[in-house]
Amino acid sequence: MKKQRSFKLLTKTTSIYLIFTFIAFISSAFFLIRETDKFISKDLESSYGRYEHRLKRYIAEGKPIDRLHTDVQQLPGDAASISQMSPVYSDTVIYNSGVDEMQRFRKKTIFFRVHDAGYRAILLLPVGDFLKLRDDIFGSLIPAFIFLAMGIVLFNYLLSGYFFRPFNRILDIMKTYKVGRGSGIKKIKTNTSEFIRMQDLFHQMIERIEYDYSNLKEYTENMAHEMQTPLTVIFNKTENLIADESVMRKNADNVKIIYEETNYLSKMGNSLNLLTKIENGEFSNAIRIETRPVIEKQVAAVEELARLKSLTIDAALSPEHQIVIDPFLLDIILKNLIRNAISYGTGEGPIRIRTAAGEFTISNYGPPLEVPEEKIFQRFYRNHNSKTSLGLGLSLVKKICELNGLAIDYSYREGQHVFRIKEAV
Amino acid sequence: MKILIVEDNLRLAQDMQQFLADNDFVVEHAATLREAYDRISIYKYDLVIVDLGLPDGDGIELVRRIKEYNAQTGILILTARDAIEDKVKGLNLGADDYMTKPFHKAELNARIHSVLRRNKFNRSNLLQIHEIKVDLLASQAFIHDSPLNLTRKEYDLLLYFMQNPNRVLTKENIAEHLWGDHIDQTDSFDFLYNHIKNLRKKITRAGGKNHIRAMYGMGYKFSANQ
Repeated sequence: MKKQRSFKLLTKTTSIYLIFTFIAFISSAFFLIRETDKFISKDLESSYGRYEHRLKRYIAEGKPIDRLHTDVQQLPGDAASISQMSPVYSDTVIYNSGVDEMQRFRKKTIFFRVHDAGYRAILLLPVGDFLKLRDDIFGSLIPAFIFLAMGIVLFNYLLSGYFFRPFNRILDIMKTYKVGRGSGIKKIKTNTSEFIRMQDLFHQMIERIEYDYSNLKEYTENMAHEMQTPLTVIFNKTENLIADESVMRKNADNVKIIYEETNYLSKMGNSLNLLTKIENGEFSNAIRIETRPVIEKQVAAVEELARLKSLTIDAALSPEHQIVIDPFLLDIILKNLIRNAISYGTGEGPIRIRTAAGEFTISNYGPPLEVPEEKIFQRFYRNHNSKTSLGLGLSLVKKICELNGLAIDYSYREGQHVFRIKEAV
Repeated sequence: MKILIVEDNLRLAQDMQQFLADNDFVVEHAATLREAYDRISIYKYDLVIVDLGLPDGDGIELVRRIKEYNAQTGILILTARDAIEDKVKGLNLGADDYMTKPFHKAELNARIHSVLRRNKFNRSNLLQIHEIKVDLLASQAFIHDSPLNLTRKEYDLLLYFMQNPNRVLTKENIAEHLWGDHIDQTDSFDFLYNHIKNLRKKITRAGGKNHIRAMYGMGYKFSANQ
C-alpha cells in the first residue's frame, strides 16, 4: 500500500484560502480595469464631443480649414453619405519635441458634413495620463496581493501555535498513554469546542479501555489461578500413580500420556498468560541494560547442555552494547533465542552470539527451514509438526521487540540461521 | 520438623500433606487466612507453605505476619499467580522461595530441604545414602569417602536424586529442575539421558553401585534399598 502524503490542517486551509484570495484578486483586477477603461472612454468621448462641436462651428462660420491645427480635409463625393460613415478609433504614439518624449494619443477619425460638403477630421487627444492611471491601479494590485498573502500565512502560522496548543497537548497525552495507567490523566483546558469534544471522547475511550483491560487482567489472572490449581491436582495425582508400581506395570502408557498432556497444557497456559501480559504492557520497567553480563550468564547456564549435543557457543560481546528494556523481558528474549539455537543447531559449527554497536545477532548451523520464512514468528508455528516446543517462543520474542522499539529479523546465510535485533529507527 | 500448609484446595492440600508426611515431616493444614493466623499465633513451625490466592485474602499478608511472630520460620510461597511483582514482593517480605503451580512434588521436597538447611544452622550439611555422600556446603560428592569429579549439572542431578530417594522422577521433572525454561523439555530428554549415563559411569568407576534405574520410559528412580 502506498503511503499518502499528509499535510497539516492549517497548511491545507491556508493554501485553499490563498488560492481563493488569488482568484478574488484576479477577478477584481479585471473588473477594475474594465471600469477604468469605461471611465477613460467616457471622458474621452465627452472631450471629443466638445472638440467636434467647436470644429463644426468653425467650419460653418466659413473660416479656412488649413489654418487649423487639426488635420481636416474636405472629401469629394456625396456629403450625406460621407456623414453616415462611422468614426474610426486607434491609439498612436507621437513624438512631442517640446518635452522630448513619445506621447500616447487616442486618434479618432470622424466624418461629417457642414452645409453641402463632406469632411474628414482626425482628432487627437492625449491619453498618457489616463493609461498611466490604469497601469498604476493594476500595478498596485500585485504588491497588495503579495502583502495580503504573506499576512495570511504569517497570521495562520502564529495562530496555529496558539489555537492548536491544546490540541497538541492532548495529542501528547494520547501518545504517552499506557494501558493500565489510565486513571488520573489530566485534562487540558481549552474552549475550542472541537478539541473539547475530542478530549471528552478520548477520556471516554480510555475509561472503556481501562475497564476492559482490568477485566481482561482479572480474567487472565483468574484463569491462571483457577486452571492451574486443578491442573496441579491432576499433576500431583498422576505423580502418585507413577510412584505406584502396580499401576505402572499395567498402565504405564496411559499414565504417561495423561502426564505429558497435563504438562503441555500447563506450560501452554503459562506461556499464553505471559504473552498476554507482555501485550498488555505489564512489564514496563524499562531501563538501559548492558547486555554482556546478562548474555554471559545465560550462556553459562546452557553451556554444559550444549556440549552434550556437541555444540559450542561462541560469544563475542561488546561491553558497550546496551538495550533499553525491562530486564525480565530481556531475559525472555535471550532465553528463547538461545534455546531455539540449541534446539535446531547442528554440529557443523558453533552457535555464534555477537553484539556490536546497536546490534545483536545469534546464529546456528542447520538445514534450511521447512516453513516459509515469514511464518517463523507466528504463534504455534513449528518447524516440525511435533509437540517438542510450544511454538510460542519466537512470537514472544517478536512481540517483546515490537513493544520495546526493537526490530528483529531472520535470515538464512551460508547454512546458518541468523536472528538479528536492532534498535528500530 | 513441623510444616504448615496454607492451601484452600483441599485435594491438593491432602496430597501434599500425605507426601510430606511420607518424608517424615509433621504436617498441619490451614485452608483460610484466618485459620493460618490462629495456627501461627499458637504453634511454632519450621516452615510454612503459603498459597497467595486464599478465599479470605492475600497470602502476602500472612508472609508479613509469620515474620513478625517468628523470624526463624521458613516461608515457601506456592501459588498459581505467576506475576513477577508478587514474587518480588513475597521475597522482599521475607519469603525464602517462590514456586508456581503446577509443581513437581520432588521439586517441592528439594526446595523445602534447602530452605530448612539455610534457616537452621544445626542441620547437617551432609547427605548420605550408602556409599554415596554429598557435602552440600562444598557442593562435593564422595564415593566411599573419595571425592567424585562431577560437572555442575551432574552434581545437581545426583543431589536431586538423593533428596528424593525411591521416588520416580519424571524426565520433565528432572529437566525442569536442572534447566528451568532454558531448554525445550522434549529436547532436553536426550541431554538428560547423556547426563545420567555419564553420572552412572562416574559412580560405578569410582566403585559405587548403580542406584539409578530407568522407569517405564517415563523417568528414573534412585533406589536407596540395597
